[in-house]
Amino acid sequence: MIEALRKKAEELLKNKTVDVVYGYGEGSVPERTRPVFITKPEDVNKLTWNKYCVYNLTTYLKKQESRKLGKPAIVVKGCDAKTITVLIKESQIKREDIYIIGVTCTGIGDPPATKCKACDVNTPLIYDELIGEKIENKEFSFEERYAELDEYEKLSEQEKWDFWQKQFEKCIKCYACSSICPLCFCDRCIVDKNQPQWIDPSAHPRGNLSWNVTRAYHLAGRCINCEECQRVCPADIPLNLLNKKLAKETEKNFKYRSGYNVDDELAMATYKEDDNQDFIK
Amino acid sequence: MNISDVTDEAPGVRTFRLNFQNEDEGKNFKFQAGQFALYSAFGYGESTFCIASSPTRKDYVECTFRQAGRVTNALSELNAGDTIGFRGPYGNVFPIEEWEGKNLVFVAGGIALPPLRSVIWNCLDLRDKYKNITIVYGAKTVADLVYKNELKEWTARDDVNLVTTVDPGGETPDWTGKVGFVPTVVEETAPDSKDTIAIVCGPPIMIKFTLPVLEKLGFKQDKVYTTLENRMKCGLGKCGRCNIGCTYICKEGPVFTAEEISKMPDEF
Amino acid sequence: MEKTLKKEKFNSLITGLKDKGYKTIAPKKDNNLITLCEIQEADEIHFDHVQTNNSIKEYFLPKTEKILSYTIEKTKVSIEEPEGFAVKSVVFGSRPCDAASLPIMDKVFNWDCTDKFWIERREAITIVTIACDKCDSYCFCTSVGLAPDAKQGSDVLLTKISDDEYLVETETEKGEGLIKELETVFSEPPSGTPDRQVATVEKKFEIDKVKPWLDENFVHKIWAEFSTKCIGCGACTFVCPTCHCFDIVDECTMSKGDRVKNWDGCQFKMFTLHTSGHNPRSTQDQRWRQRIMHKFKYYVEKFDNILCVGCGRCSRVCPADMNISEMLEIISTDEGQPEPVSKE
Repeated sequence: MIEALRKKAEELLKNKTVDVVYGYGEGSVPERTRPVFITKPEDVNKLTWNKYCVYNLTTYLKKQESRKLGKPAIVVKGCDAKTITVLIKESQIKREDIYIIGVTCTGIGDPPATKCKACDVNTPLIYDELIGEKIENKEFSFEERYAELDEYEKLSEQEKWDFWQKQFEKCIKCYACSSICPLCFCDRCIVDKNQPQWIDPSAHPRGNLSWNVTRAYHLAGRCINCEECQRVCPADIPLNLLNKKLAKETEKNFKYRSGYNVDDELAMATYKEDDNQDFIK
Repeated sequence: MNISDVTDEAPGVRTFRLNFQNEDEGKNFKFQAGQFALYSAFGYGESTFCIASSPTRKDYVECTFRQAGRVTNALSELNAGDTIGFRGPYGNVFPIEEWEGKNLVFVAGGIALPPLRSVIWNCLDLRDKYKNITIVYGAKTVADLVYKNELKEWTARDDVNLVTTVDPGGETPDWTGKVGFVPTVVEETAPDSKDTIAIVCGPPIMIKFTLPVLEKLGFKQDKVYTTLENRMKCGLGKCGRCNIGCTYICKEGPVFTAEEISKMPDEF
Repeated sequence: MEKTLKKEKFNSLITGLKDKGYKTIAPKKDNNLITLCEIQEADEIHFDHVQTNNSIKEYFLPKTEKILSYTIEKTKVSIEEPEGFAVKSVVFGSRPCDAASLPIMDKVFNWDCTDKFWIERREAITIVTIACDKCDSYCFCTSVGLAPDAKQGSDVLLTKISDDEYLVETETEKGEGLIKELETVFSEPPSGTPDRQVATVEKKFEIDKVKPWLDENFVHKIWAEFSTKCIGCGACTFVCPTCHCFDIVDECTMSKGDRVKNWDGCQFKMFTLHTSGHNPRSTQDQRWRQRIMHKFKYYVEKFDNILCVGCGRCSRVCPADMNISEMLEIISTDEGQPEPVSKE
């Protein structure tokens, strides 16, 4: 698969179909890879593919430093590809402005990531070129897909509150979660605004709770659960648990799963006259 | 500090005259021209402004600011009688003793006259120590000129040569000053560089075009002074925010010569 | 002063510290993290790790702290300064790299005017360091003039000499005082030469070559090439024991409020943003360059110390695998390669 990936990248760069390939390269230790930006065909040997390719490279679509390298081809796994669907739907990128190199994937991370247990996108749903043998995407039931929430959902409301208070106490307000998230693309995040200061920047309980809850709400109905925020958190807060719970509620109430179909209307950004109004009392 | 007086200088630009609430603190307070302070709008934060009044006038301290962000907007809601926070003075000073016996040329643009006002009045209050004093001051429009009353005072004095200008298109029908960008007017005024110190302050673009004009007129880089600005928080050399290369603006500045600036990395 | 400490005496040590009124901070395991935090019992302590997730910095420069409180009544404002923030404590189990960060940071916090929040905490806290008997590939203390058993910053240095015993060496008067206070817990010094179990930390680069390169290369393509993958999250600056940049903000509710000092980092886009919209460091490569320059050039010129202790936390925690010792390796070998050459 690595050879096929390199060959494709080389072809795309030589033909000038793209100016840069966002891919995975060897990391500073054997158990890591790192994002690489290949602009010259002779550098494609730096690309690699293995179980440590955890990054969601679509996050670089929001950064000027990578965008200025030119039209990108991006190596994406099934989970990452869902981000692209959302970005297109939210008018952040145009389909024709990127070249999607999809890779078939049977699980990443060591130990395997939680998201891989009920993965139904072993073959990405959107791509221009597929690297690897096409795998028939499995189907999981609603319960199976949200099984990781079972233990959490057994907690009472008070227990859930206490759980999150304890977790957010650890937060150091580094905003790594927001920086790595491809869907946190606001030029000026709400936390950056200070007239008025909606969210305290301080790392005290109020500041931490308001930041993490606000971010979860701003991602509700949009997050595709790539788990990157959880991976990068230096304080080991189970951020994806909150995002996954909100995704479950979104599916339950709006029958919407983010990132699966570019023709689906966005759950939180679509208004219909026959919308259920019973939440307004 | 108590705000004892508020003056609206120009649209969005205000001057506060401040008095110490604690009289002893007021008596013991000393500063020199060029230094800055941090002013608090309690509940909103602190902002850094130079001290705009002269150290020769001991009863009060003045600052001038433009409404731009959270703190300056909050400050502009305050009135005479209100309390603001003040800490300072910080930073280095204009070496006015070294300038004694020389001619002085002050060049300022827009909201950058306040940082020079302190040193201008300081020198005017010690007028005998200096030879010719020229002030070239310009703004976008007539309304944007600050310290309008003082400009009149300086025009009326025969020991100061004040040249005011507004950008082309900024003049009013009754405007009697020059029309033209500050660097152009400096070139026209052509102050003699012999035994002269130039002190320049303005937006980056104005400084960029004024320094070559001064060089052309024969000013050596170590005879041209300016005062720099950068985002500040502590003002004490601790928070690590205001540095340009190795230089902390709050400790080793804000006053620099053009020669010192030429040695700094291009990061401001 | 030299003594030994047996592992079976840890209980007595922790109880003894409590009785003498010390708060004890030690490494504790919590799921995937090993954190330096307050402990009550000796069995909470975890020593089988290379590095704790958080650094000792947060006990001297907390992630958020009040520096004054104010009350606004009509036009009058009254101010209150905080007290009792410096709690008598012992950090039991810091690593030598973390301990060494303290005298390095003392320089900036004592430069001209002094930071009482830092100084009073430094006086109140005693550092008992445990020398490293293992390391990983992210550690590079030996490349920045330190060592896995370095003494700088420690009041007492513990070195493993067997599975259940540590050599205890006092480095300062404060350390000596602590040992004397709890002398029943410690045993007599070992006879003969103790078998010090200290890790071997491979040198990764020549530090003497770094500053000369930085002096000449403010402009260089490597800044952009190395930092394209950086996402500007600031995690590196927050976990770093020597990064000390902070922000000051006011937080209030109508008439009462606090002025708060929070961690901040030069890697954030808004760190140097002026209200006018002008930003001297508007791109990530400029911010990455500032980090390296500050640590290996500016701080050296100002305070004669490298602002880095080689703990490797920044590289471990970096979401995008920005490895600082790799960058310094590239700089010191003067190749200026755009991306590290593939290991294949």
